[in-house]
Amino acid sequence: MNEPAISIRNVTQRYEGSGASGAVLAIDEVSLDIRKGEFVCLLGPSGCGKSTLLNIIGGLFRPTSGTCTVAGRLVDGEPHPDQIAFVFQESTLFPWYTVIENFRIALKFKGIAKSEWDDRAMRALKSVGMASFAQSYPDQLSVGMRQRVNMARGICVETDILLMDEPFAALDEQTRMVLGEDLSQLLAATGKTIVFVTHSLAEAVFLSDRIVVMTARPGRIKTIIDVNEPHPRSPDFMLEPRFSELRNECYSLLRDEIRATVAAQRDPQGADA
Amino acid sequence: MSEATLQAKTSTFSAVWRNPTFLRVLLIAAVVLALEIYGRGWADPAFMSPPSGIMNAFLVKIAPEPKIIEALWFCVLQIAAAYALSVVVGVIIGLAIGATNFSRVAFFPVVLLLFAIPQVSLLPLVILMFGLGPAAKIAFGFSHGVFPIIMNVVAGMRDVKELHRRAARSMGASRADTIRHVILPHIVPSLFTGLRLGMTLTLLGVILAELYVSTGGIGYYTRLFAENYSPAPLFALIGCLALIAVLFNELVRIAERRLTPGKRRHPKLKIPVKE
Repeated sequence: MNEPAISIRNVTQRYEGSGASGAVLAIDEVSLDIRKGEFVCLLGPSGCGKSTLLNIIGGLFRPTSGTCTVAGRLVDGEPHPDQIAFVFQESTLFPWYTVIENFRIALKFKGIAKSEWDDRAMRALKSVGMASFAQSYPDQLSVGMRQRVNMARGICVETDILLMDEPFAALDEQTRMVLGEDLSQLLAATGKTIVFVTHSLAEAVFLSDRIVVMTARPGRIKTIIDVNEPHPRSPDFMLEPRFSELRNECYSLLRDEIRATVAAQRDPQGADA
Repeated sequence: MSEATLQAKTSTFSAVWRNPTFLRVLLIAAVVLALEIYGRGWADPAFMSPPSGIMNAFLVKIAPEPKIIEALWFCVLQIAAAYALSVVVGVIIGLAIGATNFSRVAFFPVVLLLFAIPQVSLLPLVILMFGLGPAAKIAFGFSHGVFPIIMNVVAGMRDVKELHRRAARSMGASRADTIRHVILPHIVPSLFTGLRLGMTLTLLGVILAELYVSTGGIGYYTRLFAENYSPAPLFALIGCLALIAVLFNELVRIAERRLTPGKRRHPKLKIPVKE
């Protein structure tokens, strides 16, 4: 069974612009195979289309052209909640429901039998150490706690694939590191296939098996970096010289792309310069 | 020892002064007292009566008069009917207009245009169309109350978070699931803002129509007392109407407190008490 878990073929995404800005090419002919159980980070400057690519894999956007197959099934702008779960930023928890109700609603949407809801929810909450906050409302928790709960909500639906769209973007660096370690521990046990979108170089190196470095808009794959380090990873990995080397490699690859993005923002005509 | 007692006393004293309810009651009492003094001492009895006189008129001329009580009750029923209509129609129209960006951009300006018309100018026409009975009053109350409800439902639907919609869709939520578990809970706070404004305007509409057509309802008695230069029963009657308004508003507020999901209620005013 060497069939890839996710297979992306020549995916292009174009947004129809309005007025003078014209159409925007967000992703240009991207092809990528992701193995089962692999942790892949999409790393790139803002606006390079990495979130768009993630949304295409998850079936939330329909690509302008190209195909995306998940476990042999074509994803074409329709979500497959039985195979794929999303984790967005922590503010995705519904503020009008308590923590446990947020889990129940996710399981209900997915069509899980009612009798299983609370068992599954509590198991997932325990795995992130948040079981005693089941009856709290999200607003009563700190940002870090909310993101733990949000991660657990993505885990409790028990899909093979987890797509994470900058889940830690709203967190401070210290909380982010702790949550990253937890995530590494947690996921090593489950064997899920994970695609993770991030801006953070350290996060990408610490978590991934492979880092997909993307170019400035239009997003293409610039390089793929292998991180040969078994999971679960301990914080000591961050102190190793290899960690810094990989991080620096990512940075040198990204530097030109970030400059291109900033230049494009400064002067729309100078994007190609 | 005595110093500690003194300190305790001053702090209770300042705690009372920092209590908003106490200050409010104090303000009302001061105004009533001022009116009483002015009413007894200087006011023209043809236009003004001291609060004690109004209270007396209520007990002697309003409460024992079955026709007036009946008129008040009738007024309550008209308000209730007009409000029920406003809520049902307002929420349905609001949901329909707010459903998509397209429908909002297409139809919302029409609602704003209609709301901008000074409706009082149409009152004679409404009376001609609906007659002198309760229908005209209900229609006029409805046409006032329905707008703030529509507007606030539309406004509430406009700012549903894209991330919430997307999360629900990624979990496999159907369109109906999304409406029930994402959109409706989201609009509850702004819905209630609309319901409270709608309540106030429904009252206004019904009472305006009552005053215009004075054949036996509250409007008749108001005009009767005013034209006879007897301000005491007039103010007593107005006091009754105010009481009705307060009761209706209170009902909406209780509903709001019970139905607002989660911790999204209006924050309670907290007054820090110094140790």
